[in-house]
Amino acid sequence: MTRPVWEEKPTVAGQAGKGTLLTLVTAAVIIPLWTVVVTSLSSRATIDKAGGLVFIPRGFDFSAYQSIFATDRVTRALWVSVMITAGGTLLSITLTTMAAYGLSRPGSLAHRPLLFLFLLTFLFGPGIIPSYLLVTGVGLKDNLLALILPTAVNAFNLVVLRAFFMNLPGELIDSARIDGASEWRILWQIVIPLSKAVIAVVALFYAVGYWNSFFNAILYLSDPSDHPIQLVLRSYILQGQAPPGVSLPGTNVPPPTLAIKMAVVVVTVIPALLVYPFVQKHFTKAVLTGAIKG
Amino acid sequence: MALPFQDAAANRRAFLGLAGLSALAVAGCTSTPKGGGTSTDVNKIDAILPKFKALEVGKPDILVPPPAASGYLSYPSSLVDAITDKPGKGGGVIKVTTLNWGTVPPGLGSNKYLGSINTELGVDMDFSINDGNTYADKLTAILGARDITDVLVAPSWNTNIPRFPDAVQTLFEDLTEYLKGDAVLKYPMLASFPKEAWQGSVWGGKLAAVPFVNDNPFAWALFYRKDILDAAGLGPAKTADELYQLGKKITKPDQGVWAFSDITDYVQMIFKVPGAKGGWRVEGGKIVNKIETPEFMAALEFLVKIFKEGLVHPDLVGSKGADASQLFNSGKIVVQQNGLGAWQSALREQLKINANYKIQPMKVFSHDGSASPLVWGSADPIFYTFIKKGLGKARTEEILACLNWCAAPFGTKEWELRQYGVEGVHFTRGTDNVPKTNDLYNNEYANQFTFLSGRNAAVTGGSDTPNYVQDYTTWTKDAVKYLEPNPWAGVRTEDPVKLSQLNTPTQDLIKDVVRGRRPLSDWPTIVADWKKNGGDEGRDFYAKALPN
Repeated sequence: MTRPVWEEKPTVAGQAGKGTLLTLVTAAVIIPLWTVVVTSLSSRATIDKAGGLVFIPRGFDFSAYQSIFATDRVTRALWVSVMITAGGTLLSITLTTMAAYGLSRPGSLAHRPLLFLFLLTFLFGPGIIPSYLLVTGVGLKDNLLALILPTAVNAFNLVVLRAFFMNLPGELIDSARIDGASEWRILWQIVIPLSKAVIAVVALFYAVGYWNSFFNAILYLSDPSDHPIQLVLRSYILQGQAPPGVSLPGTNVPPPTLAIKMAVVVVTVIPALLVYPFVQKHFTKAVLTGAIKG
Repeated sequence: MALPFQDAAANRRAFLGLAGLSALAVAGCTSTPKGGGTSTDVNKIDAILPKFKALEVGKPDILVPPPAASGYLSYPSSLVDAITDKPGKGGGVIKVTTLNWGTVPPGLGSNKYLGSINTELGVDMDFSINDGNTYADKLTAILGARDITDVLVAPSWNTNIPRFPDAVQTLFEDLTEYLKGDAVLKYPMLASFPKEAWQGSVWGGKLAAVPFVNDNPFAWALFYRKDILDAAGLGPAKTADELYQLGKKITKPDQGVWAFSDITDYVQMIFKVPGAKGGWRVEGGKIVNKIETPEFMAALEFLVKIFKEGLVHPDLVGSKGADASQLFNSGKIVVQQNGLGAWQSALREQLKINANYKIQPMKVFSHDGSASPLVWGSADPIFYTFIKKGLGKARTEEILACLNWCAAPFGTKEWELRQYGVEGVHFTRGTDNVPKTNDLYNNEYANQFTFLSGRNAAVTGGSDTPNYVQDYTTWTKDAVKYLEPNPWAGVRTEDPVKLSQLNTPTQDLIKDVVRGRRPLSDWPTIVADWKKNGGDEGRDFYAKALPN
């Protein structure tokens, strides 16, 4: 009796091949991270000997971390970023879910023109000056909300959620309505529990976006104590770098060592890495949702 | 100064620049009508320039002809109190927008450096310090939105953002009446700025800004690790061929050592490729761009050869953001093209971990070793400081007095306070009198007052950088003789849009050819395309802008 191919014992060569491929892929992810971490823990002499990034550790030197935590610049920026990310994600996901639900229900008030307005933002960005005028005009300059409100609802995420909501069986919602549920209750007790996976993924998109954003901070925040971590990271990485061909007057402030730069990278990446394992199961589920749809 | 991710950052800048342009095009469609470019001949406005009056504060030990800075071999044991009156007249906090490349220090109220200078000024200056690499975007936004602070610093390379001249007319105070002729004598430090620097500050026939005088006009130097070459019994090159031979001798990939960083710009200088206004020159009455010249072709051939033969560090060939200075300091490359501004801090930092570390710039030379090399450079100011329009006479004068304070030269108490902070708080004095700064200084200093107008027209050293002043001035004294004359000196130009849009693609094509991704034989086609796509338009523009 012949067995289907997937029930056969895998060949040694096949397994070795898969193993090698997976090792390579994992290495491509791990090695850069490893190098960054090792460099951040290396002494200046080690970095100098390596001519840059260090791959093989030669002793541990925590001076880079001591240096960046000697002032509250990095910790404060981390706190600002955590607040923006948490607050922003909560606001974004609330607004996007409500808007997507409203726009997914056929017959809701003016849903076509409203949807059109949302989709228009796919095609046309406002440009720097009009955005700046709007944000400063409503008094958000030097306010952390300037990092959240202009990007609070993303049309792409809205479309993803709306498409998901539209695929929920209409009968389910109809029967809830027959049972006397209000729209709020339908959203809260029927739609959201069924859409946890996709909402988690959209929340992750938002969170990563807020965590990585720096450009609005450059435009709107002048007080350094409001700067998010990405802006601080950027300033460490680019310190002392003038435009090519321009000789700036020399300064007495020494440029940060490579170890310090990498230590800031580590500090910036860790919170984002910590979040992933918790969202990962939803992430796989959401990717699989729709995988077997025709 | 080449630092990590320089290429990446340059690309990002290029991209952001393009993004900014397109955003503006969408926003108003009014930027630079017809895209024709503008030029102002500031030679015609001598009448409004401030009168020059030299300051007598200390005599330099090594005199170097301007525009390069002279050298001081020792730090004065007693400093002059150059400004006894407090510039502040109770006009309230002066808000300042400036830029820096580095971490942003704490602001007013939690920064002792700011506090001590503000006490000296008699008025509080409150800084908004922006990232120098994205400053063009910030400027575009705040100028477009007319949302500016009392004082604003703009670097010269950002004054070409669209409609900048309009912004100057609309938003910033006309300083002509405050500074022209003898009026400037009220501000003796500003009166000591050379005429050429003030010429650069004229927009639309008016004196619009206080310049930050450029005391280092040289674009590039070719540094080499003297300790490594000495040990190998080799010396610096004096011709292009010697440079190539040197490269062959010191490149040892098996030991992880390569000869060169990306020396594309410096090789062009060696082959006497023109560098004025982005590479234009006048040749028998005609305007020629560098990429059309036989000199450029010869430079390309040389570059292709050294890249092909693997004499350039592979990390830098790939342009993956490798740090040339780090590789140079580690001895992984032996010859590096860099600005002079990076010299002293590299020496100071490396000597702490490698007592044998020695670097020198090669004496300038031309490809055939002839007696007249060419040195690229520009004596145009680096920054311009503008004052907001409509603040009133008293307030404008108060701000100008503060800028005057910031411009106090080496040898004054004001200079030391501006440059190093307060003794005992930000620095301690070594046996050579030179201030040794501490962590608090590193945390609080970000060129705040320096970039306002505080020129640094003095080369000074200390025991932590032995021989630096002598070596630096020896090089500049020689190089300043060969500074390329600029036919458009004193003419402010804003390139036609088509020409400025060609810059990045052309740079990329040069990179491609040099790295062998396109054959050298393609170059005439590339030049023909360049002419068609805006190059000829640029030529006409520069022909018209040429002073008689």
